[in-house]
Amino acid sequence: MSDILSTTLSITGGVWLSLTLIAYAAALVLNKHCKGHPLAHPLITTSAIISLALLVSQVSVANYQTSASFLHWLLGPATVALALPIYRQWQVLKHYGWRLLLSIVIGGVIAPITAWFGLWISSASAALQMSMLVKSITTPLAMETASQINGTPALAAVFVIMTGIAGAIMSSWVFQLCKVEDTQAQGIALGTVAHAVGTAKALQLGDDVAAMATLGLCVNGIVTAIVLPLFFISA
Amino acid sequence: MNKAVKWLSGWASVLFCYYSGVFLSAHFELVLPGTLIGLFLLLGALFTFHIVEPLVSNAVAPLLKHMSVLFVPAVLGVSVYWPDIQRHGAAIVVAVVLSTAFSLGVTAKIASKFMRHRHPQGDRGNQ
Repeated sequence: MSDILSTTLSITGGVWLSLTLIAYAAALVLNKHCKGHPLAHPLITTSAIISLALLVSQVSVANYQTSASFLHWLLGPATVALALPIYRQWQVLKHYGWRLLLSIVIGGVIAPITAWFGLWISSASAALQMSMLVKSITTPLAMETASQINGTPALAAVFVIMTGIAGAIMSSWVFQLCKVEDTQAQGIALGTVAHAVGTAKALQLGDDVAAMATLGLCVNGIVTAIVLPLFFISA
Repeated sequence: MNKAVKWLSGWASVLFCYYSGVFLSAHFELVLPGTLIGLFLLLGALFTFHIVEPLVSNAVAPLLKHMSVLFVPAVLGVSVYWPDIQRHGAAIVVAVVLSTAFSLGVTAKIASKFMRHRHPQGDRGNQ
């Protein structure tokens, strides 16, 4: 913690931190301009701008990560803060009970297994396979869980964001194809499979849909983070 | 209570839950990640003390809203694994796209079947 404080308050730390925040602000403007299209996700734009800045200034990624360690540290409290949306949606969760929980759990099981299978038949490395298992849960929990099951947090973060974007883009088409008109069910699927990016998409469909998506995101994230390590830690 | 005190006590509650979770996880060598234990502690606090909700929400709302920016350092770290990703690039894209489309469809279908009986009419009234 004291390391993080001293780097953050140092000049290089301050410069990279400010640069990241400025890049993020620009990314938000772009996202708004593209009417929230999933491909214009702020994480993609910000990472692209910072990569470019690192390339130009010849600073290594490891050095950047040290300079921006405060951002990384904030992920912990941010994950804890996910208790807030759960608390707020508690009434909805209680109302639907097991029907909602079971839908989320089934989705949360299918998504990682099918993706893992795809990598397994192409004999990708164990780190890739393990990181793919957490692809449908929200990034902070995904990174934490990936490191517990010998996956790679960085890879997990990339798979998670790819999944979210793919899910948000394909969702309307998939729902049409499967003839699911129930927007609440759509919300659950978006949140469970495509986490926060899917939840942003669900928000465009309505507040009640977003509430369902939030529950999908939180419940699937928690259940996956509890269950996956049990399978792999002893192995 | 003035704004700064509210903001500080909101953050203090979140940080207290976070570090308690980390401590409990490490001390008892639990399988559960510390952050997740912290999440449950905060959830418990929210249900027990009603004053916690406005405080925490006031403090961490921006954090939840702008969580994306926190992942930037981690995402850039992926460059280390670039050769591995390139070798399996096609498989990764296919796995992500196909499995995501499939799971979205199945989950939505199951959810609409399960929940058909519970909404929308009639049930709204007792909330």
